[in-house]
Amino acid sequence: MDRKEILVELKKVLTPYTENKEMLEGINEQTDLIKDLKINSANLVDIIIDAEAQYNIEIDFDAAEKMYNVGNCIDVIAEKINKPA
Amino acid sequence: MISAGNDIVALKAVDIQRTQSPAFYSKFINPQEFALYHPNEIALVNFVWLLWSAKESAYKYLKRISPELIFAPAKLVVQQLNIPRPSKVAENTGYYQGKLSAGSTTLSFLSTMSHEYIATIIDQGDVHWKVREIEASDYESQSKAVRDFLLDDLKMPDITVGKHPSGYPVLIKDGKELDIAVSFAHHDRYISYCYQIPK
Repeated sequence: MDRKEILVELKKVLTPYTENKEMLEGINEQTDLIKDLKINSANLVDIIIDAEAQYNIEIDFDAAEKMYNVGNCIDVIAEKINKPA
Repeated sequence: MISAGNDIVALKAVDIQRTQSPAFYSKFINPQEFALYHPNEIALVNFVWLLWSAKESAYKYLKRISPELIFAPAKLVVQQLNIPRPSKVAENTGYYQGKLSAGSTTLSFLSTMSHEYIATIIDQGDVHWKVREIEASDYESQSKAVRDFLLDDLKMPDITVGKHPSGYPVLIKDGKELDIAVSFAHHDRYISYCYQIPK
């Protein structure tokens, strides 16, 4: 799965947590989950759990801390997907 | 430098079942912190969101001091938690108090809890704070309501709320940033502010 494909799936993960659907449609790697998408911080863990289910990966403590913007989310997901079993 | 940090969690807006799953709370609560949980004193859901709100409040407090800080709840470690006596909890008059460490820094926090929400502040210095329920739960309404709430209570003329380039709120008068540390929080239909004025 390349970064573009991960981004498409990531939009589905983020959809329930943002009111700003227009901004979500146009997100790029610099989009900040809280500042730009106005996602409540209380939902950040929900997003991590949903991403784990969506990509069948496990996101640990350290990786979760990096997931504050879209590019960082893609970095973490890509690294986990491509990690050899 | 004075600072301010607060948070609010609307308990009706959280996923209760998910909150109680170790897969959820272990993302930001480590085993040492989980040892502070005693089921006869506090419900698991409340414990989990209490720790979250303490960490979020601490992040906001520290962000004002170190603007480059990134929210990393696992690195903010709750070291101590004092639960109010059951009678105080029943009357909603008791405060949950605790201490939290962020590297070499230790911060005290204070929380109030009802069936509807958990509200927390970082309790460093002379902090003023309030909570209010509002009608609408969309982001724009929450954001405007919490700013108006503070400005109404401050009763200082010609003050506006701006945003520091790092993202934290500032109070502005005549184009200048005032030396008042403020913090806002909103979740669902609950809003809260806290502020601190230097003595």
